[in-house]
Amino acid sequence: MATYTLLQLALRSAAIGYVSLLILFPLAAIAHQSFIGGIDHFIEDISTPQASSALVLTLEAAFLTTVINALFGTLSAIVLVRYEFPGRWFLNALVDLPFAIPTLVTGLMIAAIYGPTTILGMWLQEGNITLLYAKPGIVLAMLFVTMPFTIRSLQPVLMELEREQEEAAFSLGASPWTTFWKVTVPSVLPGLLTGVFLTFVRALGEFGSIVIVAGNIPMKTQVASVYVYGEIESYNPQGATSVSVFILLISFLVLVLLERLTRPPGERMPRWFRWSKRPLPMIHPSEIG
Amino acid sequence: MTRRLFIGSVWFYFALLLIGPILYLAVQSFDEGIAAFWREVTKPEALHGFMLTLEITAIVLVMNLVFGTITALVLVRQHFTGRTILSGVIDLPFSVSPVIAGFMLILLFGPETILGTFFGTLGVKVLFAMPAMVLATLFATFPFVVRELTPLLQTIGTDTEEAARTLGANEWQVFLKVTLPMLRWGFVYGATLTVARAIGEFGAVLVVSGNILMLTQTATLHIYQSYVDFNYVGANAVALTLLAVSFAILTVLELAKAKTAATLT
Amino acid sequence: MFIPGLFAVLLAWVVFSGSVMAGETKELMLAVYSVPKEAYERTIIPAFQRSWKQRTGQDVRIRSSYGASGAQARAIIGGFDADVAALSLEGDLDQIAKAGLISHDWRTGPHKGMISASVVALGVRKGNPKGIKVWEDLAKPGVEVLYPNPKTSGGAMWDVVAIYGAGLKLAEQQAGAGKRPSAESAEAVAAGLLKRIQKNVKVMDKSGRESVTTFERGVGDVIVTYENELLPRIKSHRPYEIIVPDETVWIENPVALIDRHVDRHHVRDIAEAFVSFLHSEEAQAAFAELGFRPMGQAAAQAPAHTSLPLPSQLFTIADLGGWEKISTTLFGPRGAWTTIVEDLARGK
Repeated sequence: MATYTLLQLALRSAAIGYVSLLILFPLAAIAHQSFIGGIDHFIEDISTPQASSALVLTLEAAFLTTVINALFGTLSAIVLVRYEFPGRWFLNALVDLPFAIPTLVTGLMIAAIYGPTTILGMWLQEGNITLLYAKPGIVLAMLFVTMPFTIRSLQPVLMELEREQEEAAFSLGASPWTTFWKVTVPSVLPGLLTGVFLTFVRALGEFGSIVIVAGNIPMKTQVASVYVYGEIESYNPQGATSVSVFILLISFLVLVLLERLTRPPGERMPRWFRWSKRPLPMIHPSEIG
Repeated sequence: MTRRLFIGSVWFYFALLLIGPILYLAVQSFDEGIAAFWREVTKPEALHGFMLTLEITAIVLVMNLVFGTITALVLVRQHFTGRTILSGVIDLPFSVSPVIAGFMLILLFGPETILGTFFGTLGVKVLFAMPAMVLATLFATFPFVVRELTPLLQTIGTDTEEAARTLGANEWQVFLKVTLPMLRWGFVYGATLTVARAIGEFGAVLVVSGNILMLTQTATLHIYQSYVDFNYVGANAVALTLLAVSFAILTVLELAKAKTAATLT
Repeated sequence: MFIPGLFAVLLAWVVFSGSVMAGETKELMLAVYSVPKEAYERTIIPAFQRSWKQRTGQDVRIRSSYGASGAQARAIIGGFDADVAALSLEGDLDQIAKAGLISHDWRTGPHKGMISASVVALGVRKGNPKGIKVWEDLAKPGVEVLYPNPKTSGGAMWDVVAIYGAGLKLAEQQAGAGKRPSAESAEAVAAGLLKRIQKNVKVMDKSGRESVTTFERGVGDVIVTYENELLPRIKSHRPYEIIVPDETVWIENPVALIDRHVDRHHVRDIAEAFVSFLHSEEAQAAFAELGFRPMGQAAAQAPAHTSLPLPSQLFTIADLGGWEKISTTLFGPRGAWTTIVEDLARGK
């Protein structure tokens, strides 16, 4: 057991204190609100027909979003790392943009471009494809806001993946397939898992864009966050917080699972994944002055 | 060739999901011409919104850089009970819907609460004023700096710092001259993402700000107000401006990276 | 050291920025629902400031916030220190009163505390391609109807009340002259109409305003909303037509000062003056500009200075038992509307 200096303990208290005040404390207030009537009431709140439909719809849509973004995100990461092509810097800069766009604007953009006033929208109507105000619209909004996660979690890993490792495996006689499964995948898996799990968690909580493109018909196109909003607005904070706490529990479990899965064997510490895109320039000790 | 197919698919994915909608937004904001765009972006409400967003972003950036660094250092370098919980909690803000993020601040600081009455007697307005707006944005942006620094700290280890200590540097010098420079890119990335996210914060701030004209309307709230006032050109113009600012920051970051990588090779 | 110093500066900046303070200028804070924003910002607020200055020589700065009626009420209960609340539903003011923030009986003012009035109307595309004339037309297959979610929008509550009440009126008409239908059969007719119309609703926005913007984006064939929402849009040359059904509900919007806040801010005199200013001719004219109806039109109290004819089968919220009753019988967990929505989702 290491001994810590006073400074280190002070920093630890500062970190724990800050996180408690900023995140734990407020979330505890929400949890308190939802368990005020006891566990039975909590269960009741999340099992009402509207609440349970909303929860199921949200989980389904988030899952679908995760699958799609995992596929396309992986593909994008590979392309952005391994290939040189004109406009690569442009795509790279675009990847982070969904973080910056207010969800309201995301919703409005999607509703506008796929709505009845544009050529694209009218073409969809001709083809009898319903995108907006239906489940596909919900997934679309979720795809937009979660787009960066998989890409950014994979890129640094792909970059650091020692080409030499792959080449070494080749020279030792391994087939491309074996190389892929025994070398590439294990190195890339933690990054992929991080991106995937974060996508899921983020999609669960999305509100601003979905409320504009979903239609929000209870038990049909109403996601959990919109249901929660409706309950708060109609003076049922307990029902609202119960559903929110349920979503939070799922998210927390997912995040804990992620940490367990990305913990390198034999190490006590999780392998954290960077969001940056290239190996970072390191400073040589001789440069410090 | 698979290469062409892959690159093409990625362009298609980006175009469909990202580029298309943003282009459409751009076109719509110039729907009534450049003069109208300029007028909307420079009117008092818009300028106030930009200023307010800038203020909040600046405060949030500093807070996140300081506490994000401390949290990252503590998480990577110290072992203690509760560390798993701490690390699991860090990403939770991603999954909290903004409605709840705002609501929880009201639960904490409302008029009938301990904290609410405490600050009330001090004469400090938390809710429906700057503090709550900053808190809501702090909550939403917390994960970014931490997540940028932790892997770096892990990779770097403590060797260089130990070396510096044996050479006679005190803790503060070690931190300033060894640790911080090595974390430089982590800071840059974390700061960029924090700024981008803070600029885009909407839902929670809508709930806790009171949406008071020319007082607590951030740029995103102004966009919302314009939209519900049927001023679509105004809403789109300000939105496009925010996007352009974020994109500019991101592009500068890309170029800086490319330059540094070039000089190092 | 440096860091604590930085914190002190930051903290001070956060805490004191935006906290206005005293001096010679008094400040009044308004919380208004979203729809009449233009009337307040363009006409009413400046006119009041002028009149107050004339009367007392004092400058008053007026801060305003516009948002959904229910959201504003909740914000006020949650600590938003508005001095005057002008909302869409009396129920929202009652909630504020229940929280102890309003201690006077605001219904004792002129017009029982109401300052603006309108009716629920239908908006259709120019040329009325789907041939909408009466409520039953909204229930026809292939007609897309728009109105917001009553759980989040006060306007939507008015809309659903209008449909339900229209159903009751239709039941009366069906029963024939001189005969009154039983309560159950009338309610069945009303619920049936509501169900068939709700079935045609594909999008429920979270506020009345957002509903209109969705309609403007080309979604839906007919929108159910406040008449005073549609009239200004049509005046701005939007390609819509407005249809006021014979059976519709009379909407009245209340105002009240928030006792706890006006006393804390020492602005009771200003707040009272503002509330009575809202009843003045100038303010009422500003509302009329925006498409509101004259206050006494339904009760035929005042001569109708309006080109808007009174619907022949107009009813009021009181005819349906009042908001307290409606909140449970229509919108409660076992209310008619809630049950309809759940049944429709289950395919019943």
